[in-house]
Amino acid sequence: MNQLVPLFVVIPLAGAFLIMILGRFFSELNKYLASAILLILAVFSIYSLVTTGENPALYKTGGWEPVNKIPIGIYMVMDGFTVIVLCIINIVGFLSVFYSISYIKRYTAENYYYSLFCLMVAGMNGVVLSGDLFNIFVFLEISVISAYALVAFGVEKNELEASFKYQVLGGIASFLILFGIGFIYWKTKTLNIADIRHVFSTGYNRTYYLFVEILILTGFGLKAAIIPFHAWLPDAHSSAPSPISAMLSGVLIKAAGIYVIIRLFFNMFIITENMAVLITTLGTLSMVIGVFLAIGQWDIKRLLAYHSISQMGYVVMSAGIGMILISRGIKPEIASLAVAGGIFHLVNHAVFKGLLFLNAGAIEYTIGTRDLREMGGLAKSMPATHATSFVASMSISGIPPFNGFFSKLIIIIAAVLAKFYLLAALAVIVSIITLASFLKFQRYAFFNNSDNNKNLNIKEVPFPMIFSMVVLSILCVFLSLLAIPAVRDVFLTPAINILTDTLKYSTSILGK
Amino acid sequence: MKEIITIISLPVFAGLLLFFLPEKFRTFKGILAIMVVAVSGYLTIVIYSSANHFCSLNELSSGQSGLNTGFGLIHDMGRYITFNCDNLSKLIVVSVSIFSFLILLYSLVYSKDGRVRNYYTYFLITLGCSYGAILSDNLLLFITFWGILGITLYKLIQSYDEESSATAKKTLILIGASDSIMIIGIAILWKITGSLSMGGISVHTSNILSVVAFLALLTGSFTKAGAFPMHTWVPDYAQYAPASSTAYLPASLDKLLGIYFLARITTGMFILNEWLTLLLLSLGVISIITAVLMALVQHNYKRLLGFHAVSQVGYMILGFGLGSMIGVAAGLFHMINNALYKSGLFLSAGSVEYRTKKQDIDDLGGLSKVMPLTFLATLIFAMSISGIPPFNGFASKWMIYQGIIDFGKGTMIANKLWVVWLGLAVLGSALTLASFVKLIGGIFLGRQRKEFEGLREVPFLMWLPMILLAACCIFLGVFATDYIVPKLFMPVSGAFQFQGLWNSSFVSLLVLISIILGILLYLAFSLKRFRTEDSFIGGEKIHDQTGYSTTEFYKTLGEFRMFSWFFRKAGEGSFDIYDQTKKYVLRLSHQLSEAHNGVLPAYIIWVFAGLIIMLLIMI
Repeated sequence: MNQLVPLFVVIPLAGAFLIMILGRFFSELNKYLASAILLILAVFSIYSLVTTGENPALYKTGGWEPVNKIPIGIYMVMDGFTVIVLCIINIVGFLSVFYSISYIKRYTAENYYYSLFCLMVAGMNGVVLSGDLFNIFVFLEISVISAYALVAFGVEKNELEASFKYQVLGGIASFLILFGIGFIYWKTKTLNIADIRHVFSTGYNRTYYLFVEILILTGFGLKAAIIPFHAWLPDAHSSAPSPISAMLSGVLIKAAGIYVIIRLFFNMFIITENMAVLITTLGTLSMVIGVFLAIGQWDIKRLLAYHSISQMGYVVMSAGIGMILISRGIKPEIASLAVAGGIFHLVNHAVFKGLLFLNAGAIEYTIGTRDLREMGGLAKSMPATHATSFVASMSISGIPPFNGFFSKLIIIIAAVLAKFYLLAALAVIVSIITLASFLKFQRYAFFNNSDNNKNLNIKEVPFPMIFSMVVLSILCVFLSLLAIPAVRDVFLTPAINILTDTLKYSTSILGK
Repeated sequence: MKEIITIISLPVFAGLLLFFLPEKFRTFKGILAIMVVAVSGYLTIVIYSSANHFCSLNELSSGQSGLNTGFGLIHDMGRYITFNCDNLSKLIVVSVSIFSFLILLYSLVYSKDGRVRNYYTYFLITLGCSYGAILSDNLLLFITFWGILGITLYKLIQSYDEESSATAKKTLILIGASDSIMIIGIAILWKITGSLSMGGISVHTSNILSVVAFLALLTGSFTKAGAFPMHTWVPDYAQYAPASSTAYLPASLDKLLGIYFLARITTGMFILNEWLTLLLLSLGVISIITAVLMALVQHNYKRLLGFHAVSQVGYMILGFGLGSMIGVAAGLFHMINNALYKSGLFLSAGSVEYRTKKQDIDDLGGLSKVMPLTFLATLIFAMSISGIPPFNGFASKWMIYQGIIDFGKGTMIANKLWVVWLGLAVLGSALTLASFVKLIGGIFLGRQRKEFEGLREVPFLMWLPMILLAACCIFLGVFATDYIVPKLFMPVSGAFQFQGLWNSSFVSLLVLISIILGILLYLAFSLKRFRTEDSFIGGEKIHDQTGYSTTEFYKTLGEFRMFSWFFRKAGEGSFDIYDQTKKYVLRLSHQLSEAHNGVLPAYIIWVFAGLIIMLLIMI
């Protein structure tokens, strides 16, 4: 019983309403309150990361104890995988909200902004922590509904259109997810993930659950923007205010999409090879098609948004490789390696993609355009933005010594060791095209025609924005340390173990 | 072990430190950098004189058992952080030190204007990572260091205008692409052998998997060294980057590293089959011939040198493709020689540019009078690269020819074709000479232009490295057979006998005697009353305004039918792997974006189509 666990949801949820009420009376309070809330959460999440080891921490809401070892209350579970995602959510969240202090001045209604932001964070923390299916759905809706509102925050034509598309497709996703949950509840008579797994292991109707699995995969695939369910993402992520884009691309698609897919398919459903192959295929498709879509873009944020699809493809693909190996029951150490690569890349992507969106925001903030063709020569006038975006670009392109290199290295090596040579080759090709498109970004934004008169009197962005970008770029460098075996053992291995040892989650929660 | 850690980390950390010093203290930064390079250079000599050994990070922790808590982490990494000091890597680290020291000396003056920001930072990081890449034994450690060199290469070009930023982009894309491809090779090697140690594996290239691994690693080596077909970044980089950067990376360090790795994979890690040998030899001669043909028609002298940087790599590949001891020794020898004269040539190109601010041979002429030292050095480099005895280029090329003739005794297809390899290699050498006649004639000889009359020789710190490099060219050439090859290269390749009657010192003595005789004759018969005439330009009279350009003489080359096709295609970028790939990628990208028309119903259809297809396939 860990008393810290519910605070991850309670604090931002209370904060959201507090900001609305207090913000009426003190106009400057909202930004500091929001930053403070996220800072506290970030500290808590780091503390949990250090303290949570192999054994999941459990919080039974309302103190409902299980009857005959069957859980009847709502469980909140914090295991190795959860804390990693919690850290991503809250650290990137803190930096985005701190960045917003300067950035969001251009919009009106700051109270709504900060309050929706906290609500979104509360939702995501809830999704990640929740130990039962229905609460995942509830928290998911909390976070995505605030995301719909935040995408439309600029209330211009583009923003509203993007938000509308996002809502329609998000609505379809929610419907499919609820449908799937209903099917599961019908058969198993329980909603607790661990308990469902327990019921599954006593008897598993393959065809029936295959249908459910596909429903769930489609639903969460829509949230995670896996191809062909990705169509909302480029519009939504490029129209939102930049700190929100950083949250959506860096965190929301992971917490609400990838995390749930990985969690449910590893720890709830019984892995079948067909399903594993399907997931791997979807991941590979996203990886390849996403990058080809990205390289042709001239709008920075659209370019970054398409790259999110492609990078998430890496994560899904390597998780899929792990699933295939687990379903065949061979080479468990390679399965662990593949899953480790996926989770490592998930963390890295949150950091560098968050940073890249903040960079894009900084550029938009100073010169007021997102079109690469209208930029040029910013390296001299915006040294901090240039340096941090260079670090992020190299990270996402997989150039050493930055973090993206090591996660891609692990993914490629795992694919080769598991004899998926084609996937390894595709991962390499995608990595090369990623490099090409980010060098395009670097070239047109920061170099090219430096004597452009327009750009002579440009100043670097204010301190809060620089601070967030610099912290994230330092993280880009230091996360490479996770490749060191001893460090990996402390932070990543608990997450990998709970996923690859598929029964461990349910047994450690149910205690049987 | 401690020395190895020091020479890698000292330059890297010094470089990071310099990054945070403001650009105002550029001179101070330069002095600090040269001290760092000198210290690490000294340590490489210490390493060179020590015995061959493997070592890993574990040695550090075992030495100090009292501090074991902190070393628990290190102990775990010891598996990955392993170094190998054998004859090959020791030879290369010392060469790296020498080149970096000389080029940094040159840069102290040359890059005073600060056109590349944080020049010394990237210079030092490059140095540390090169040491790391050469000494590391573990392939993952190696690829990490190797990859960082791509970033510094990208950063050592100024990129404030359109062309140079495009070049920087192209360079890093090609280098980064090859690094990514190498990861596949490393992964396959790991799969086949279960080991990541470069020194500990030896794979027969008998099945498709090992051939793919070999080709993947070969791509990395070729891109770094700049060999066909991955060479296309080198000429561009040479043209647009500052000359000191080009002399440092593409001309010397990247060649050393690329060829070092080629040596590792061809002589140790893989046992080549017949077809791979054939492939290597063909790529070698293609590099030699195509690049030298391109060099012949260039007007920009830096770009011309860039193409020669590609062409010379072909000889080294030939050497390693032969696989015999003499071939390997010749390849290594040529690598060192090439680094000497090629970085020297880029330094002299930089000097010419420094004084005249011009890059086109047509705009230059008659500089030998105002820049005698630069002229002398360039002349020696040009004769070395063209393979004229007694300079070093001749010695190594001669060994390569010997190796090819020896290779002809074998029975495989590649052996049967020995005449082809030999003929094309000799032809390449002749064409190299032809293009350097143009360079020397166009820049230094001919009539002096009015605008260059007031020029002075470059400062001491700039001509000293060139003269030292030129002295090395002579030294390595003169003592090739007696001292250099047996002492430096035979320990790496294994002992062998030279074929044919040729002793470099004796030949040099003969050359010297004939020169002295000539001078004596000249003095004895007081032949001072010779005619001086203007250059002959087909009977036309030369007026003050008449300009003639040396490059015009080479235009006829482009009018041969076969060559004109080649030059036209090359101009369109048809042989450029970068341009071609870019075209296809962008076309595909465009087609895919067309589908994303922003119509919501279409997107909804995709979702349900995806769902239904999945259901149909799975159930």
